[in-house]
Amino acid sequence: MPAVIWLVCACGQANDESVVFAVGGAPSEVAFWEELLVDFKRQSGIRVDLLRQPADTDQRRQGLVIALNARQSDPDVFLMDVAWLGLFVASDWLAPLEDDVEAAPFFQRVIKLVDRRQEHLMALPVYLDAGILYYRRDLLERFQLPGPPGTWPELLSQALTVQRAMRKTNPRFYGFVWQGAQYEGLVCNFMEFSGSRGGFLQQGGELRLDVAANRTALTFMRDLIRQYRISPPNTYTEMKEEQVRLYFQAGNALFERNWPYAWALHQSPASKIKNKIGMAPLPAPPDGERVATLGGWHIGLSRFSDRRHQALKLIRFITSYDTQKKIMSRMGWNPGREDLYDDPDVLRRAPQYRELKDVFQYAQPRPLLPYYTQISAIAQRHINSVLADRKSAEQALSEAQGEIDALQQRYDVE
Amino acid sequence: MRISFNNRFFSRETWTAVGFLLPLVGFVVIFILLPVLGTLTDSFFLDVTYRPKRFLGADNFIWLFNDPGFGRALRFTALFVLVSVPLEVILGLIMALVLNERLPLRGLMRAAVLVPWAIPAVVSGRIFELIYNYSYGAANYVLRTLHLTQGPVNWLGSEIGAFLALVAADSWKTTPFAAIILLAGLSAIPADLYRQAQVDRATFIQRFFKITLPLLKAVLIVVLLFRTIEALRVFDLIFVLTGGGPGGATTSVSLFGYNYFSAGDFGYGSTASVILFIMAFGLSLGLVKLGRVEQGVMP
Repeated sequence: MPAVIWLVCACGQANDESVVFAVGGAPSEVAFWEELLVDFKRQSGIRVDLLRQPADTDQRRQGLVIALNARQSDPDVFLMDVAWLGLFVASDWLAPLEDDVEAAPFFQRVIKLVDRRQEHLMALPVYLDAGILYYRRDLLERFQLPGPPGTWPELLSQALTVQRAMRKTNPRFYGFVWQGAQYEGLVCNFMEFSGSRGGFLQQGGELRLDVAANRTALTFMRDLIRQYRISPPNTYTEMKEEQVRLYFQAGNALFERNWPYAWALHQSPASKIKNKIGMAPLPAPPDGERVATLGGWHIGLSRFSDRRHQALKLIRFITSYDTQKKIMSRMGWNPGREDLYDDPDVLRRAPQYRELKDVFQYAQPRPLLPYYTQISAIAQRHINSVLADRKSAEQALSEAQGEIDALQQRYDVE
Repeated sequence: MRISFNNRFFSRETWTAVGFLLPLVGFVVIFILLPVLGTLTDSFFLDVTYRPKRFLGADNFIWLFNDPGFGRALRFTALFVLVSVPLEVILGLIMALVLNERLPLRGLMRAAVLVPWAIPAVVSGRIFELIYNYSYGAANYVLRTLHLTQGPVNWLGSEIGAFLALVAADSWKTTPFAAIILLAGLSAIPADLYRQAQVDRATFIQRFFKITLPLLKAVLIVVLLFRTIEALRVFDLIFVLTGGGPGGATTSVSLFGYNYFSAGDFGYGSTASVILFIMAFGLSLGLVKLGRVEQGVMP
C-alpha cells in the first residue's frame, strides 16, 4: 500500500523548471492558452505546464479549492471567476501582486471594486464580461421604433408590438430572451432587472435582498413570462447563455440579454441575423440607475507557489498590452486593460469595443463574500420559484432573506 | 505457550486466510472506513476554507434541521424513494415474469432489457433531457404531431412535472436491474412445484400468490434494499436533468450536500451526508431484519 501512495504522490510533483498554470474552458480556449504559453517560453525561457480544467465554472472552482485548501504548491498561477474572489481572498490563498505588476492601464473601477482588497492588489482582470442588450436593428426599423429601449417598461412595449406582428408569420417568435434557469446566470440577470437600488444591498456587513426594487423587478421578470408572454415558457427551466444565444441567433427574438461573447457568434457567416443586430446597454429600471453585472476572469498568484519569480513573469506576460490584444483579436474576449479599447487598429476591425468600454464603466460586481456561492444558491432557488409561479415575489424574497440571515449568522460568528 | 496459542486460535491455515484478507481489509479501511469517519468528524466542525477549523458540537445538526432548504430536500428524497422504488420493483417483477416464460428470442430479449441499466446515469439523464426539452424535445414533437395539445408543454417547469419526469427517467434506467435480479430468483424456484400445482389445477393467480411470491420474497427484499439505498442517494440524474429546480423543488439530500461541499463548506456538507448515511443504514437494517424473519417463515 505505501508503494501505491508513493506512486500517486510522485505523479503530482512538478518539474523543477516549470510554472503550473491552471486554466479551463472550451477546447478552442485551452488550445489558445497553449499557443500563448509557447510564445512565453520563446520569450522568457520558462516552461509552463498547463493544468487543464473543465469548461464548467463550478468544477473549475472546485478543483482550485481542493488544491489550495491542501496548500499545494501547484498550480502557481490560475484564472478565477470574479465571483470567487471573495472566497479566495478571505481564505488567504492569494499572494499580493503589488509592485510586481502595473495596474494603471486596467479599468480602475474594476480594480477598485474587485481586485484591490484591504489595500493590496490581489489579482488582475484578464478579461471582463458584463450583461448587455442585443437587439434586432432591422426589426426596430421595420416597425418604426425609435431605437433600443432605455428602460425596462420601454423594452416591454417595443417587444409587445413587434412580437404581435411577427407571430403572424413565425409562431415561435418572442420579444425578449434572457437567462432564467436556476443557476448563477439567473442571479446576474436579476441584478440587472433590479438596477442600482436593488440586487444585493450591503448595509454594514448585512446583506439585504428583501427590498422594494427587488420585489418590483422579480414580479416584472415573472410577468414577462406569465402575463405579457414576451419571454418563452421555458425561460426558467432551460434558458442559460447558450440556449438564449441560439434562440436569438435563429432569428426568433427581438431582444436578447447576454454576455459580450455572443456578438462574434451572432456575426459569424452561418448566423441568420448577421448584420441585422445592434448592441446597447441594458435598460434601466423605472426607479434607479441601470446595472450591468460584472463577470470575467482574473489572474492570481498562489500564496503557496514555489516559483514566485517565474510565476510573476507569466502574469506580466498575460496582462501585457500585446497578449491582451491577442486575446481580443483571436478570442473576441474583452481585455481587462482599458487602453486597448482606444487602439485604432482594434476599433477599425471591431467597432463594437467603443460601446463596450462604456458598459464596463457601470458594471456591478456580485458581493465579494467568501460564502457568496451559498448566498447565490439561496437567491437562485427563490427567484426561480417565483418564475415557476410557485410563490409571490414578496414571499420568495422574505423567505430568501430569512435564509440569508441564518447563513450569515452561521458564518460570521467568531 | 506460544505454540499452544497458535494451535488453539491461529492455526497455519488461519494465518494464510488472514494474509489473503489483509489487502481487502486494508482497502476497505483506507477507502471506506476512514472517509466515513472523516465525514462524521467533520460534521461536528465549522470547516470552511476561510476560517480556522472550529468545533461546534451539534450545531451543524441543529442548523440543518432548521434549514428550510434541507427540509425540502428531505421531503423530496423521501417522496422520490416512496414513488420510484415500488414502481420499479413492480415493473421489474412483471418484466421478470415475462422473460421467465419460454418465448421466442428470449435470450435476445433478456439482453435488450439490460441496455438502459448499462447506460451511465449521466448519459441517460441527457437522453431524457432531449425527450423533455421544450423547443425540440421528442415528447413535445409527439404531442404536436398528434395535435394533442395547443402548444408545447414545459415538462420540467412545474414541481409535479419535474418530479414525475425524474421518476420516469429513473424507472426506465433501473427497472431492468430489478428485473434481472428477480429473474434469477424466479429461475431458482423448482419447476416441480408448478407441475404439482398444475396437477392440483391451481389457477395462474393462485400459483403466483402461493408459490412464486413467497419463494421470491428473499430476492425481493434484496432488490428493495439495493433500490432503496440507491434512490435515497439519487444525484446524477437530477444533476443533469433539472439541476435541482424549478425553484429547488427537486433538490435531493445528496445534491444539497454536494452544493455545500462544492462551495467549500465541508462541515455542513458532511452533516447532510451523515444524515443520509444514518437514513440508509437504518433502512437497510430494517429491510435485512425483515428478510431474516421472512426466511424463517419460508417452507
